Amino acid sequence: MISFPNWFINLFHELGGAWMFYLRVLRTYRRTSGHRRAIVQQIAEVSTRTIGTVVFAGIFVGAILVLQFDVMLRRFDAESLLGGLNTSATIREVGPLIISFLLAGKIGAYTTAELANMRVTEQIDAIECLGTNSIQYLIIPRFFAIVFSSVVLLAIGLSVSVLGALFIADTFCGMNLYQYIASIPRFAGGWTVFEGLVRSVLFSTIVATVSTFKGYTASGGAQGVGKAVTASAIYINVYIVIANFISSSILEWIHDGFYWVVNLLEKVLL
Amino acid sequence: MSILFENVYKRFGDKIVLDDVSFKVKPGEILFILGKSGMGKSVTLKHIIGVLAPDAGKITVDSMVVSSMQGVMRDQLDQVRQKCGMVFQHPALIDSLTIFENIAFGLRTQQYQEKMKSEVTEEMISDIVHDKLALVHLNPEILQLFPFEVSYGVQKRVSMARTLAPEPAYLLFDEPTTGLDPLSISSINELIFELSRKLKVTSIIVSHDMACALSIADQILFLDQGKILLMATPGEVMKSTIPLVQDFFKETKELLPPNWSLS
Repeated sequence: MISFPNWFINLFHELGGAWMFYLRVLRTYRRTSGHRRAIVQQIAEVSTRTIGTVVFAGIFVGAILVLQFDVMLRRFDAESLLGGLNTSATIREVGPLIISFLLAGKIGAYTTAELANMRVTEQIDAIECLGTNSIQYLIIPRFFAIVFSSVVLLAIGLSVSVLGALFIADTFCGMNLYQYIASIPRFAGGWTVFEGLVRSVLFSTIVATVSTFKGYTASGGAQGVGKAVTASAIYINVYIVIANFISSSILEWIHDGFYWVVNLLEKVLL
Repeated sequence: MSILFENVYKRFGDKIVLDDVSFKVKPGEILFILGKSGMGKSVTLKHIIGVLAPDAGKITVDSMVVSSMQGVMRDQLDQVRQKCGMVFQHPALIDSLTIFENIAFGLRTQQYQEKMKSEVTEEMISDIVHDKLALVHLNPEILQLFPFEVSYGVQKRVSMARTLAPEPAYLLFDEPTTGLDPLSISSINELIFELSRKLKVTSIIVSHDMACALSIADQILFLDQGKILLMATPGEVMKSTIPLVQDFFKETKELLPPNWSLS
């Protein structure tokens, strides 16, 4: 049984390890060439393996949110805001978060298990011994495929969420679709999409880094593979939650700062 | 052309795995490393190919210092690895590749192309793969199968063929007979002897098999608690009074045929 302080220290220890691994992957990518084919192949594999889950989950993310918002907004006779609030929350926060958790479970666990198995059966050592850089051969294609596919899958998932919410609002909440759509621009604009995109890239990078890192550094036979997969799932989810909090704060500051500068310029120029 | 260990230390956490280990393997020699499990035998091999780096000491392969290359001198490390072929304890075949692709893996690397000083065509690769498969007494029918479709013994032989394909100057075997039935053990041992003698390749074999060591080794090295207990010829090993060596020999005597003698 690990005590809480030890678990907390471990969390940062693993974060340091994952960060060093991330830098190593980027360094290897810069120094080597000929990755395109392997990355495209991995993207195809990852996307086809995951798209069904993402679409299915996306529908429900939108549906749950719209039902919750509808209940609350009705109390204040503010149903007309449903479309805007729901779309904004889905794209900015809830969508990227929940879909990233799903990707962590689906792609993250699979990648960690695959690499950990290769590590404990000495396949990675054999690749190195045959004069091939294992980071280049195994990690770079998986890493970039996870980042790229996750961003695309998140975009698909979020689009499905918005459409799913639209359907539920129309069918179960009795909303006027025109009213629903008309309220969207009041809450969700270019900045909302930008925030969603930043979070998608950030969370995808976390999924890619931690899953490949835990798989690549696994040890200790079949038990080691199990431990690596469990640790990977836990750390990805914890890091995503922390990253979500930090990114929300930073994006809020940037947003406020941006409008402060715009207002200042308006005052100075006009 | 030699492998040289000079005062090598390695520890994992609190456990000292190699403690002031020094030895030399001469060209064309067959060295057996014997000892109980967990005494640093496999770790010794992994140091030669730079999969592990020592905490202190120096490891030299053909005047290239491997111990200082890890992480910083990738190109030089690849050159060392090109010279050393390692057969792992488990077959370590890549699951997602066919047996043909597994054997051809080392032939598609940049280092091999540089070594050959010309472009390696698919036809050349196919010829080499078929040659090496014949060398380990396997049938070409298995080439399009995946590793999980053949038996463990066949996987071990494929692993040897893969190691031999780039024609390394040194062969490193990590418990090559682990997990095999007695018939396969004997045939793998014969194969190692054949390869080492026929191809005149310097070989280091980590094993528990004293009988095989006495039969084919030029030198036998005993490791215990990370230290070298004895490094000697088979004849000297048989006369040794060191308890662990005697224990190993006693176990082996029963396995040797009655008229057995050192050749």
